[in-house]
Amino acid sequence: MVTFMKDTVNISVFRFDPLSDKEARFDNYTIPARGLRTVMDALMYVRDHKDGTLAFRSSCRQGRCGSCAVHFNGRYGLACEMPLSEGKNQVRPLAQLPVIKDLVVDMERFWEKYEAVKPYLVRSSNDAVLSLRKRLEMDKLFDCILCGACFSACLMTGKNPDFHGPAAYAILNRFLLDDRDALREQRLALVKGENGVFRCHQMFNCNEACPKKIYPSENILEIIKIID
Amino acid sequence: MKEFDLIIVGAGAAGLRAAITAVRKNLRVAVISKVHPLRSQSVVASGGLNAVVENRNGKNGETAGDRDSIQTHMKDTLDCGYGFSDIPALETLVRRAPSVIKDLERWGCLFTMESNGSYALRRMGASSFPRTFFAADKTGLALMHTLFEQCIRLRQNKDVQLRFFEEWLVLKLLVLNNTVYGVIAMDIISGNIELLSAKSVIWASGGFGRIYGRSSNATINSGWGLAVPYYAGLPLKDMEFVQFHPTQLSGSHILISEAARSEGALLLNRKGERFLSSYDDTKEAMELSPRDRISRNIRREILAGRAVDASCVHLDLRHIGAKKIQERLPGIRNLCKTFAGLDPLRYPIPVTPGQHYMIGGIDTNERAETAVKGFYAAGECANTGVHGANRMGGNSLLEALVFGEIAAESAASYIRKKHIKTPGNTYYINVFTEEKKRIENLLKQKGNVSIADIREKLQRTMDEKAGIYRDGMGLVEASRTLWELNNMYKADLKLDGRETRVNYSLINAIELKGSLDIADAVIQAALKRNESIGVHFRNDFPNFGGRPRHSLLSLWKGKIRIRFVPVNTNEVPGIKGLWSRL
Ligand SMILES: Cc1cc2nc3c(=O)[nH]c(=O)nc-3n(C[C@H](O)[C@H](O)[C@H](O)COP(=O)(O)OP(=O)(O)OC[C@H]3O[C@@H](n4cnc5c(N)ncnc54)[C@H](O)[C@@H]3O)c2cc1C
Ligand code: SF4
Ligand code: FES
Repeated sequence: MVTFMKDTVNISVFRFDPLSDKEARFDNYTIPARGLRTVMDALMYVRDHKDGTLAFRSSCRQGRCGSCAVHFNGRYGLACEMPLSEGKNQVRPLAQLPVIKDLVVDMERFWEKYEAVKPYLVRSSNDAVLSLRKRLEMDKLFDCILCGACFSACLMTGKNPDFHGPAAYAILNRFLLDDRDALREQRLALVKGENGVFRCHQMFNCNEACPKKIYPSENILEIIKIID
Repeated sequence: MKEFDLIIVGAGAAGLRAAITAVRKNLRVAVISKVHPLRSQSVVASGGLNAVVENRNGKNGETAGDRDSIQTHMKDTLDCGYGFSDIPALETLVRRAPSVIKDLERWGCLFTMESNGSYALRRMGASSFPRTFFAADKTGLALMHTLFEQCIRLRQNKDVQLRFFEEWLVLKLLVLNNTVYGVIAMDIISGNIELLSAKSVIWASGGFGRIYGRSSNATINSGWGLAVPYYAGLPLKDMEFVQFHPTQLSGSHILISEAARSEGALLLNRKGERFLSSYDDTKEAMELSPRDRISRNIRREILAGRAVDASCVHLDLRHIGAKKIQERLPGIRNLCKTFAGLDPLRYPIPVTPGQHYMIGGIDTNERAETAVKGFYAAGECANTGVHGANRMGGNSLLEALVFGEIAAESAASYIRKKHIKTPGNTYYINVFTEEKKRIENLLKQKGNVSIADIREKLQRTMDEKAGIYRDGMGLVEASRTLWELNNMYKADLKLDGRETRVNYSLINAIELKGSLDIADAVIQAALKRNESIGVHFRNDFPNFGGRPRHSLLSLWKGKIRIRFVPVNTNEVPGIKGLWSRL
């Protein structure tokens, strides 16, 4: 946790309304440091006391709901979890997804790719049971809050519109691990095409971006191993 | 105008559960949510949900020759709620609980397992047995993903008509001649306002804890969600019953789930004493006592000067050990590290009570029916009467799922049975024009008082005057403050931005009105109940009046009316009741 030396904090926020602005800009705000801890606190302060039209998403304010992923001081993360710094504080929207306004991006492509991997269990039989071993292997994977940070950090999602992206593959792997699942072959067929998992260049940007430490690229490797 | 059979407002546990049942009954369904479904409060729920289930390895919850049963689940809930539970609803809840778990497991929900492969159970406060199913301390996340996944699965089937309106804010509920006809909603992104008509509407807008400042709730739980049906005339039940959770992180009021105490965490005062032992009503069950008692006793400990740092006590997990914490409470450890800057393996956690759950809500019965035809409610926004005067941990996710499903069943049979006459185009045009005008007028507000100022004053008033301990004088003062804030809202509100498109200033202004009016409902109901029971403690009336009764509050020609009705102790018709056998 930060305790600020100064009474104020400076924050610079990406502002852009594609319908009325010719280009994006950064608005700078100097706000009282008292009571502020996270980037979200600062954004809330700006919206409450400086400019009510500042657009950003938020809900749980405790890193659980995935609403608030942004790019802050050079890395991706959740605005409600990342501590403000004493010096520079620069907030940008997620990359690779079109900006709707300010920090609000259009997540549609992200959701589309997620849905494309059939992210649901189809039971092979009614009494198929999950083994404890598999359950433990999946333990980390259901931490994914679908915040989209990995999708934005990935260099492939931007270049290749058919690439499903890190989160979708991590979720896919969760279902591949599930010994009750009946769609295994279908799922593998979905992603083994030339724009599927093999497009991943293992740059690990997703691992670094993920606030929940899902390590999507490791899941991608696991899927590749199964296909090979 | 878009037309549907059924509109579901809210996409938390209750709303998504309702959607699954409704599309399976071949209804054309719209689900409207002001945030993406997976951003709802339900994903944050952590501790788990209660059910007595025949497990793969026999029945759950066996201790020393004793067995858990649905009767015991019912009795525990009833005791925890001080006998204020409506029996038909409660019986429905406990009887349906096992099928809730079975459905979730069938759909792939990742509950935590024991080493023998059976599901692990934890014992929550006020429960006689361990009967809470959980997924580490992320039950809500696991469960919401499971429900949403099933919705996607259904939606990918071409014959299914299930449409999600994400980031749409519902502005108005259409009720005419005591019958529901649809809603008016605004697309937060495009700013378009539209009328969506339907034969039936299920309300699942969740809690409204953010009328308080010290609250564990998501910031979206503003109260607007409940205000919309309240304005349409729906009676609200037991609004004074606000649950305060004993353990929220000091400062941020982020919840430290009851799961922590269930796994063995201890509450300590400044001297390191387990102070719950010095109060009559907590000395037996100690950390697993009902929430209302622990919250009150923490407050008393603080007032007696035995607090740590003026306003909190310690929750100590250190003796639980790294392995179990990593397995069962990993989320809590992360929360402490991120939001309190401490590792609970090494330091006790500073905690303090705060608003957590709203028992009060739309008056419904065990079939999720309300006072309006075709209109059903489920989840935290409803009051089915199951929780009585104090909610037992692990019962509200259960309630959302059970009554979400029941609401869809009731709606389906209403739609099938009834030949529903539509009110004609002039009606639609008139209400729509009126609502649009209201929003346009709001956008013109150029006053001096900011939305945040009013909200902060409201929240402070509720924290101070309508908290764990309340009294007549404080409540009257609160009521006056709210009246002033309401006047400020009407005459002097400052709004930024002049359009409806992605304008969070407008959204906040709309919702603030609901916060004010719902807070007022809580205050008026609290003032009217001149007794202390469960979560409602009046310093000026410290005793219980003796007769369990619900308060029913509604708007009549712009004025609040409150009356009391007896708690429903009837048996469920047609089946041999559990109640008589308790
Ligand atoms: C921190 C925390 C932990 C908890 N842990 C547990 C637990 O372990 N076990 C347990 O049983 N209970 C727990 N609870 C309580 C439980 O989580 C809630 O009661 C439950 O999730 C409510 O579900 P719901 O479906 O009714 O509402 P929510 O999940 O709150 O969903 C409400 C929905 O309504 C929508 N909505 C609201 N208003 C509008 C509007 N005007 N227009 C459009 N959409 C609208 C929202 O977008 C949202 O989708 C916890 C609560 C909190 C705060
Ligand atoms: S894998 Fe991580 S970064 Fe990607 S969506 Fe899930 S939680 Fe977010
Ligand atoms: S607001 Fe929920 S993750 Fe940040």
